[in-house]
Amino acid sequence: MANTTLSPLHRADGSARYTKNGYSVIAAVNGPIEVQRRDELPEEAAVDVAVRPAAGLGGLPERHLESILQNTLRHVIVVSAHPRTLIQFTLQIVTSPGDDSVTGSLPQASSNLPVLPALLQASILALLSTSIPLFMTLTATLVAVNPNGILLVEPSVQEIKLASSIHVLAFSSHGDLLVVESEGDFTIDKWEEVHKKAKSICHEEAGDESESGSEDVSMSSDDSSKIENVLKEAVERKIAKEQRWKESTG
Amino acid sequence: MATQTLVLPGDTISPNILPIPSNPSHFLKLGPGLRHTPPSTITSVLAGSLCIDPKKNAIWVENNSGRYIPQPHDLILATVHHSSTDWYHCAITPYTTLAQLPHLAFEGATKKTRPQLNAGSLVYARVVSAAKHTDVEITCCNASTGKSEGMGELKGGMVFDVSLGMARRLLLARQREEGGIVVLEGLAEKVAFEVAVGRNGKVWVKSGGVKETLLVGRALQETDREGLGVEEQGRLVKKLLRGL
Repeated sequence: MANTTLSPLHRADGSARYTKNGYSVIAAVNGPIEVQRRDELPEEAAVDVAVRPAAGLGGLPERHLESILQNTLRHVIVVSAHPRTLIQFTLQIVTSPGDDSVTGSLPQASSNLPVLPALLQASILALLSTSIPLFMTLTATLVAVNPNGILLVEPSVQEIKLASSIHVLAFSSHGDLLVVESEGDFTIDKWEEVHKKAKSICHEEAGDESESGSEDVSMSSDDSSKIENVLKEAVERKIAKEQRWKESTG
Repeated sequence: MATQTLVLPGDTISPNILPIPSNPSHFLKLGPGLRHTPPSTITSVLAGSLCIDPKKNAIWVENNSGRYIPQPHDLILATVHHSSTDWYHCAITPYTTLAQLPHLAFEGATKKTRPQLNAGSLVYARVVSAAKHTDVEITCCNASTGKSEGMGELKGGMVFDVSLGMARRLLLARQREEGGIVVLEGLAEKVAFEVAVGRNGKVWVKSGGVKETLLVGRALQETDREGLGVEEQGRLVKKLLRGL
């Protein structure tokens, strides 16, 4: 099960630690801060992402992950609210299961997709712990398809090694598809299946949406497995801590 | 009384929970953390507790974290970084663009007699303008009266960092009733000190000696960190004063 900590780093404007499926990531967000003249955008905030692997220096796989994250987060943050500034993300992968070159049977052995959901989750949690305005929150998951065509959600290292394709999907809190990265051989029908499965994990059904309009904080225990609730619980804990003085004052 | 619910960014605020104004000509006031999409959709952009005050017909998201973003009329503690022909350039928060403090924005300042501030001096100032496309401008005097109203250079003392929410509570007009802070009143019974609270999460404390200054600053920081209630603050004050 996912384990989250908000604001573990006290010097960063916002930070979060997210642990799931053997991956542990610490994310730090600083911003809005001063931007270098060459990166400055006149109408919006620049988003800068740095991914550091668990061991060694970052290479091509990390640059690839950074570009995916940067393009996603740029649409999640209300960048027009802070023009000519920089919002800086630093994501440190603390632990990863087994060795990093797990995608053995796949053609692009150098890419490192299995860590992407954890990176996305950690960065959104870090954003929630700051006061940077966001259009939405997001939830991400990893789905592998094994050679028999069976879908495996949050697969283990061994399962990824044997999989014929792996897919990372992220959905916004409105239920829209934000990120889709796939590797390996698969058909369109299989992808549709993967999409449906991932959506059911990441996002509550459309029927619940109208109900959640009433902003009811209490929720039934059976949907606590939903990734969306991980965010909600983390924020609840944060607010409870911040408002402790109110309760103890009575 | 304000009521509270949890909101995440992207949540639509249901029209049913909006306060109903006593007079239809009163507009609904949207505070920080909310975004209005015409014609009548209100969405949250921050994670926090949604506060509704029916009396003031206001709605806002309370959030205690992140970086301070300057807003007009906020009182802040700024550090002078350098001086140019007409302005002092001051840092409000680290690594952000410097704010401009005109040389003449002090009580009784003229071109010949103006306060000489060196790099590193601390000023208590008010934000004049903080539009997103221009530099932030701050001032140390009230433009209409020309009086300093307590603002200006702060000499001596020490600066302590607190959370933004704590700074906001300390700046409330009725600190004890609304903010639940009694630690300063408690300490003031035995120790003489001065404080200046900046909305940017900084508190300046000056007292007779280093020991007393640290005592006051640390008491504030502990109250903030542990989220102490009124009674716990009383106990903290007693404990600290015994050690003095």
